Amino acid sequence: MVTITNAHTELIHDAVLDYYGKRLATCSSDKSIKIFEVEGETHRLVETLYGHEGPVWQVDWAHPKFGVILASCSYDGKVLIWKEENGRWSQIAVHAVHSASVNSVKWAPHEYGPLLLAASSDGKVSVVEFKENGTTAPILVDAHAIGVNTASWASAALQDGAAPQQMRRFVTGGADNLVKVWKFNPDANTYLLEDTLEGHTDWVRDVAWSPSVLLRSYLASVSQDRTCIIWTQENSQGPWKKTLLKEDKFPDVLWRASWSLSGNILALSGGDNKVTLWKENLEGKWEPAGEVEQ
Amino acid sequence: MSADNKDDPFKSITFGKSLSLRVDGGFNAVSISPSGRDVVLASRQGLYVVDLDDPFSAPRWLHHITPWEVADVQWSPHPSKPSWVVSTSNQKALVWNLSRSSSDAIEHVLHGHSRAITDINFHPTNPEILATCSIDAYVHAWDMRSSRRAFYSASVWSAGASQVKWNFKNPNVMASAHSNDVFIWDLRKGCTPLHVLKGHANSVNSIDFSRFNETEIMSSSNDGTVKFWDYSVNEEEPLRTVVTDFPVSKGRYLPFGSGFCVMPMIGGNNSVYLSNSITSNESGPISKFQPIYVFKGHTDRVSDFLWRQRHSTNTLIDDREFQLVTWSKDCDLRLWPVNESTYEKVGYERLCGLEKPLPDHEYCTFRKEPEEAKAPTAHTARWKEHFVTKSGTEASDGSNNINHLAWVSGVRLHHANSPHDLFEEDKLQNLGEEVSMIGHKFPKIVFEKISVSTGVLVLTLNGPWSENNPDDYIFLRLEVKFPSGYPQKKHVPRFKIEENRELSEKKHHEIVDQLSEIAQRYTDLGKYCLEPCLRFLLGEKVNLDGLQEEEQLLNLDLVDHVELDEFSSLASSDARSRALSDGSNTSEDDFDDIDNKSSADGFVARSAHDLRLDTTPIPKGCGAVWTAAGQLVCFFMVENKSDKKQSIFKLGQRGFGGLKDAHKPELLYEEQDANFDRPKRYVDTLSASSHHNSEAANSLNGSDSDASSDSFGDDWNDIVGNDITWRTKMPLISNFKKSLASMASDDNKSSLSVQKSKNTVIVRDFSHLIPDKKQLAMEYKLYGDSLESVCKYNAQVATTHGFEELAHCWRMIANVLIAREEKNPYNFGWDQHSLGGKWFVKQTMIHFEKLRNVQMLAILSCILMDQPMGKAASAPLVPKKGEETIITYESNFVSHSQRSRHESITSSMRSDDYFTGTHGIKTLKPWTPVPVLGQDNLSSHNMLPDIKIEIVNDEVLDLLSSDSPPLLDAEDEAKYRSYRYQYAELLFYWGLLINRTELLKFNLDENFTSSVWHLLNHPPQPRAQLDYMGICYKLLEHKGAGAYFPRNCNYCELRVDGRGSVCGNCQHILHADCAKIWWDVSDECASGCGCECVKFFDVV
Repeated sequence: MVTITNAHTELIHDAVLDYYGKRLATCSSDKSIKIFEVEGETHRLVETLYGHEGPVWQVDWAHPKFGVILASCSYDGKVLIWKEENGRWSQIAVHAVHSASVNSVKWAPHEYGPLLLAASSDGKVSVVEFKENGTTAPILVDAHAIGVNTASWASAALQDGAAPQQMRRFVTGGADNLVKVWKFNPDANTYLLEDTLEGHTDWVRDVAWSPSVLLRSYLASVSQDRTCIIWTQENSQGPWKKTLLKEDKFPDVLWRASWSLSGNILALSGGDNKVTLWKENLEGKWEPAGEVEQ
Repeated sequence: MSADNKDDPFKSITFGKSLSLRVDGGFNAVSISPSGRDVVLASRQGLYVVDLDDPFSAPRWLHHITPWEVADVQWSPHPSKPSWVVSTSNQKALVWNLSRSSSDAIEHVLHGHSRAITDINFHPTNPEILATCSIDAYVHAWDMRSSRRAFYSASVWSAGASQVKWNFKNPNVMASAHSNDVFIWDLRKGCTPLHVLKGHANSVNSIDFSRFNETEIMSSSNDGTVKFWDYSVNEEEPLRTVVTDFPVSKGRYLPFGSGFCVMPMIGGNNSVYLSNSITSNESGPISKFQPIYVFKGHTDRVSDFLWRQRHSTNTLIDDREFQLVTWSKDCDLRLWPVNESTYEKVGYERLCGLEKPLPDHEYCTFRKEPEEAKAPTAHTARWKEHFVTKSGTEASDGSNNINHLAWVSGVRLHHANSPHDLFEEDKLQNLGEEVSMIGHKFPKIVFEKISVSTGVLVLTLNGPWSENNPDDYIFLRLEVKFPSGYPQKKHVPRFKIEENRELSEKKHHEIVDQLSEIAQRYTDLGKYCLEPCLRFLLGEKVNLDGLQEEEQLLNLDLVDHVELDEFSSLASSDARSRALSDGSNTSEDDFDDIDNKSSADGFVARSAHDLRLDTTPIPKGCGAVWTAAGQLVCFFMVENKSDKKQSIFKLGQRGFGGLKDAHKPELLYEEQDANFDRPKRYVDTLSASSHHNSEAANSLNGSDSDASSDSFGDDWNDIVGNDITWRTKMPLISNFKKSLASMASDDNKSSLSVQKSKNTVIVRDFSHLIPDKKQLAMEYKLYGDSLESVCKYNAQVATTHGFEELAHCWRMIANVLIAREEKNPYNFGWDQHSLGGKWFVKQTMIHFEKLRNVQMLAILSCILMDQPMGKAASAPLVPKKGEETIITYESNFVSHSQRSRHESITSSMRSDDYFTGTHGIKTLKPWTPVPVLGQDNLSSHNMLPDIKIEIVNDEVLDLLSSDSPPLLDAEDEAKYRSYRYQYAELLFYWGLLINRTELLKFNLDENFTSSVWHLLNHPPQPRAQLDYMGICYKLLEHKGAGAYFPRNCNYCELRVDGRGSVCGNCQHILHADCAKIWWDVSDECASGCGCECVKFFDVV
């Protein structure tokens, strides 16, 4: 178990291990991103990345087939792309189409190519593709009028016959208390609203699409209203079914939801500074599977 | 230049201190005047001349707009040409004479190179001569007395030059660096190099001749080494090689003592490293770089470093003192003091005698525009026309188009000699900071003159001092003169208000008296008094009684201390003065104004303004993220009780203040629960967190001041809106703290230990909760003699790793398969039935779907996929008691069976006595009791479907004619493919590439599979006209060369003996025919390495 304290001088807002579980990226209100090398019990700070002009909210590692690449988003409205080559980090791209804080940034499943999804408080989400020739092609979508708090890709479901891009879907959660599902339309070259999921009574803070495509698609959304809703859809079509993770409310607002790779464990965290784990039993009920405290 | 500029360098206020100067505008190159008074910075906009002794004065701007980055700028080191500066402009070099007016300062243009100039070097002894080198591989030497042509040229032809340097001792020798080599030239020898120093493994970035030894030169390279050569001794090998852990962009000998300084191209903590050459000599020709001092603090790559020096005039005693000047991409120009211990370490003995006096330089600045612009001579006029030099009209007014206030606020001068004291300082450091802070707070005050060095301010404002109408505002111009000791006691600034028609004499005196009183009271306590004085002038009441307690008044985080009514008065006085200055200014204009700004400023101004509309949610302080390996990365806030208490208190206060904004529904959002006073929006938390910050970091920290209150935010916005250079670097104020916090330190350690604990990251291993196991994946088999044995084997694997439940399942599947393989009609019978094996398999799959066990799903789907012909060797697997006739026949579904991994295409079948037909009830249960089974274990964990199978169908005879049906539903195939695909991703993640390929074979289309199988069994006949799909490496046929490549086809796993196709990128190999098949369906390498081989060559 690795413990890193006081990495930043301000609150940490995200910490993500890379694909191989060797490198940890953290970001903070101190406007910096730090990269640690994690090996067993030990860790070593290898780099501190400065470049954002506001608190950095989230970071995400790209799939290693694109190189050692990290995306970060900040209150300054920018998404920065960082790359490591021969042990040296540099900022290789700036994605600055948003006019307010960018709250979430996520790389698409690697099958789609280097595709980045960013959600901003200006009410828009953007999907930007970093093309071979160095150009980018951002697609902007008005998602939630008041502000988009989070966005998450659906896993790349391998579908026979369908070109992979036709299955591109993602989900957003916003300050209008809604969760919306979007699907790529190649003809319009944009993402169209597929479903609007109502259920929360306050801002949706995070949505997570289960990475595993089994019997059905799973979505978890957590909200300021202290609930977590699991949304399920059969065979990537039809209506979404709503299930409250637990009937009574959580002790504090919920901030973050994360699925394990196989989608069997959901980790939730929130204002009470506690991480709880949940799994679905064979009867389809959600039960606690663990807890982590500081 | 005027005579009063001539000062004594020993009176310099900045020498020996640390100073940081923020200069926005993309400056790339820097140089220092030989007197050490001025620094020149060069960018595409022209040159900035900064007076280091008066950093608060805005720099002189010599306009020269070019689209090219300025590669180098050099100040002439010669006392006879103190005003000469040479800079590059693509392939030309411009020689500026700073004693001319800015609009006409270019004295010579050196045009001889055909491509961009990379470096310039003044001749060390002859002031008229300089050398340039360029990407065009030429090195030119120029004489300013005939500047139209270079008087000496040499070229290496093969590689562009990165640097050129004159020898300090021999005026005819110079050196230039080209690619990996250093060339030594002699002007008398024409264009044949005297020496060529080869040895670097990558391009040489910088060279420097020794000041003492004529033939000694150092070279710094991208290969991370610094080499010291003496070409009179040995030009093959360097005397010494120092290995650093970063590519070195500049490396130069110290001008004092015997040491050298290097700075990294990238990495290296953005520091400048100082090392002494003596110690390392002992450790052999190659040694590790050992810095003895590190100048650390820049947040981006350092562009250049310079030595500022001073010494007494006309003396034979070497009393030189040095200060390091660095310029970095982070837009900070920094001055670093050098302490005595450093001098000692490099063996520089101060105050020892000299043979001849050091050259004296007039200590004067060229920052000021020369008083009388000389008429351009015919000579320069001729050259000038080639350039787009901006006219001097606006350049010659004092401000030079540079926002003086912005400039001043970028200057950080540290009085403390020890850099370590700086962290504790939370107050204003000097008048400059006070002025810049006030500029931010009171945007309506216009500063007409800021001269921090002389302590003179002239500002104008509107105050409510009319006698007739108290609501009327009067325009005041105020001159404040600060004594040099300000703000210490008895150093009271003097105020002078300009005579004004509207201001009666009585009132005039009254105001001045009041101001003096305020100033007196504040300075008595050693406090800065400008702010209260200006507040008074703006019509606010200044309470002098509580002064002692009001420690924090001058701190930037006003919010916490200013009362509500003070807020409003501030805002209203703002509004009123605005209205006064522009009668037609309505709030609508105001909005337009803001809109314009926001479009121009982009996000920053807007976000600063639209705080009410900013819906950024409160930041997450706690979260957990899964990794693919089943680790959970958690991060938490660390709270201690007292912090929490205070922040709640502050929140309450903020909420109260915020109520004046009618449209803040979120603030009214409440729950019964006490927890839910928590604000929802990020901006609502800022005042709270600012308190937090200032407590923890002791600071004028950025994020606090930029948005700590709405009205302040507006001020900010206005300021930000004023100037372009500001916008690009938003948190100017915030940088104060950072620049303070990062100072030189004697050792390499960063000094961030002051903070309290704020956060913690924990990585926990939860892989036991994840159903997919790498250890199983490594051992599981997909292939084997028979499917049943594969399942048995897998069961064993699961058992050894302690996954009893999985083992149990494997055994059950194995048993189902035995039955089928034997083609025992009894088994057949119930198996065929809808409640038979097929049903069992389906339930199993559903079970694992519920468990989200992708691993099991994928492997099962593979094994069961071609179950029907899953048949192995002709020998019976289980010895039968009574031997019966065995009918062996050729399978009639050969083509179908191609998918099978089994070599044999003949199936054997035991002719059992089908006709006796004893059918009865069979349950699955009795099948399972394999010895190791832990029954209770099983039931406690999971509810495997309890299976009872009843056979009702006795139409045995029908069965013989049909193939045994697949155990998996064909319609679910798509789903299974996706499972396999997911599992393949997982295998890739685990690095089990071979397993992945094995698995992915099952995802090939049936048609393809069969043809592959066909090809494998029938090796292709060599044909003459082959459509090659890639590079056929003939090498493969030769043993030696072939050893480099894996010799087995990555598709069919068979040895590649004939034609093969090797990917030039990943070196994986495929049979030509396999390649054809594989690349029809995929662009990715068959080995699973992720390489997209097809992209690397043309496929027909």
